[in-house]
Amino acid sequence: MQESPGIRLLRWIVLFAALIIMLFPIYWMVNTALKPSTQVFESPPTFFSTAWSLDAFFALFESRPIGRYFLNSLVVAGGTTVLSVVLASFAAYGLTRFPVRIEPLIILALLFIKMLPEALLVVPFYQLIADVRMLNSYLSLVLVYSSFALPFAIWMLIGFFRVIPRDLDEAGIMDGASRLQTFWLVVLPLARPGLVAVAMFTFLTAWNAYLWSLVLTTDPSMYVLPVGIATLKGEYQVHWNELMAAAVIAIVPVLAIYTVLERYLVAGITAGAVKG
Amino acid sequence: MTSDQDTTSDQAGTVPAWTSRGASRSSRPWRGAGLKRERWLGYYFLLPAILLTTALIATPLARAFWTSLHRTRGLRSDFVGLDNYVYLLTTAEFWESLRVSAVFTTVCVFFHMLLGLGLALMLNKVVFARTLLRVGLLAPWIVAPSLGAIIWVWLLEPQFGVVNYMLSSIGLIERYQTWLGTPELALASVMIVDIWRGTPFVMLLLLAGLQGIPRDQYEAATIDGASAWQQFRFITLPNLRYLLVVASTLDVIYTMRHFDVIAVMTAGGPIGATEVLPVLIYNTAFTQNNFGRASAIGILLLGVILIFAIFYLRATQPGKARED
Repeated sequence: MQESPGIRLLRWIVLFAALIIMLFPIYWMVNTALKPSTQVFESPPTFFSTAWSLDAFFALFESRPIGRYFLNSLVVAGGTTVLSVVLASFAAYGLTRFPVRIEPLIILALLFIKMLPEALLVVPFYQLIADVRMLNSYLSLVLVYSSFALPFAIWMLIGFFRVIPRDLDEAGIMDGASRLQTFWLVVLPLARPGLVAVAMFTFLTAWNAYLWSLVLTTDPSMYVLPVGIATLKGEYQVHWNELMAAAVIAIVPVLAIYTVLERYLVAGITAGAVKG
Repeated sequence: MTSDQDTTSDQAGTVPAWTSRGASRSSRPWRGAGLKRERWLGYYFLLPAILLTTALIATPLARAFWTSLHRTRGLRSDFVGLDNYVYLLTTAEFWESLRVSAVFTTVCVFFHMLLGLGLALMLNKVVFARTLLRVGLLAPWIVAPSLGAIIWVWLLEPQFGVVNYMLSSIGLIERYQTWLGTPELALASVMIVDIWRGTPFVMLLLLAGLQGIPRDQYEAATIDGASAWQQFRFITLPNLRYLLVVASTLDVIYTMRHFDVIAVMTAGGPIGATEVLPVLIYNTAFTQNNFGRASAIGILLLGVILIFAIFYLRATQPGKARED
């Protein structure tokens, strides 16, 4: 198909304009985080400061338990990822390797859970967890996060497990391996790209989740990053450069991981048509 | 038409997981199906996930329904039957929130689809720097919605925000606006943020769909002298139709239940202008401490979502898709 260079150029211009618009808020976050306090409230704003510094980060760490929030996020997202990926691997193996009569029911349930509104469930979660006095605990957060992450993980993993030929399992069993051994030694290694995608997706979703821990943590030392940062915003006087520094701390690590592993993630998402 | 449908439902993986299932099973029965020893093994592998999900989804769901039949005030809780539902359906609050939700969802999904399709079409034609563009364009979707919302609160800040500065310096607005403080502007603002956040995913899905369209269809059309518009109208759109239906239905569901952006930016205000149903649930439960009524709103929201879920199910059933 021949295209005129004009059309090609136009497409490039439009795409790059879109790229700039999409990335501008992220740039502005970094730009503000690096500004000294005096420059934040300047009008007109400086688009590229000559006085960039890390002052806002130091101030933030001095006045806020941002390190603690980071640790909380890491524990909750990490725990959720481990629990969900392990259970989802078993479930996906069971579904793709054995005749499971209730399979249509399970698929329907997975779909149903994917569509449940979080806001509906957060009320009973709060009641149930308050009843057993488990508010402000890592365990309750990991369990609640997993309730939503697990169906997604199973959904995605089914797609990856199905394309691994069953003949390989059968060959393993012929060679005298047990079911668990074939699962562990044959299927899991072959499904590694899928596992990376699912683990990454689960981690990202858990890292970014807001509502659960907003409701299920009342003790500020248990806040995860999004909740802790949102409380900064609610204060009487917002130090925007410190707030943006906090956002940088929460966003930049996942953006970095995502940039490196984007291929896996995209493959995983398009394999399962999943959205977080 | 039938051949179009066949190619679309085969597109690499973007079809929901189950659709290829029936076919693969009937064409090649599981050899071990007769093994008595293994008959229950699949259930053992599934058991942990089923137990966890039952405990963490079914129980709260039942509890939510049960709570919705009660009037709760602090620690007191009285069974009132359907009173909460009657109250909600006969007062303006719920309907107003439903209206805001409908406007928010319609506008956001429309732009997600329109911009997502446009970007996917362009990205599909680009060769140089394609990965870079894809990674960059997808970035807003990786950022936590609540944190993206906070960044936008700063961008839209009335006095020192960069949006006011840029728009007034190119003459689009005469004076600085309080974006999140005026009802109409607040709704428009949260919609823009949701469009910023939600477009990349639709783009990604549709891009995968575009890459699944066989190239020879375009080549044949070019030989026949079809214009770019004709190729889009008679090749791209029919091939993409299935995916467009699936993506937009899913997007309606996800947008309708979305909480974070609005909760962070406006908490439903000013004067309820942005109070979509999920935010109304949260405010009712945790600001007014009325768990019973909040749960009833939640059940009603679930009902609305289930209507679209049924639509999604019908659209993704393989037999159904080929029929029409």
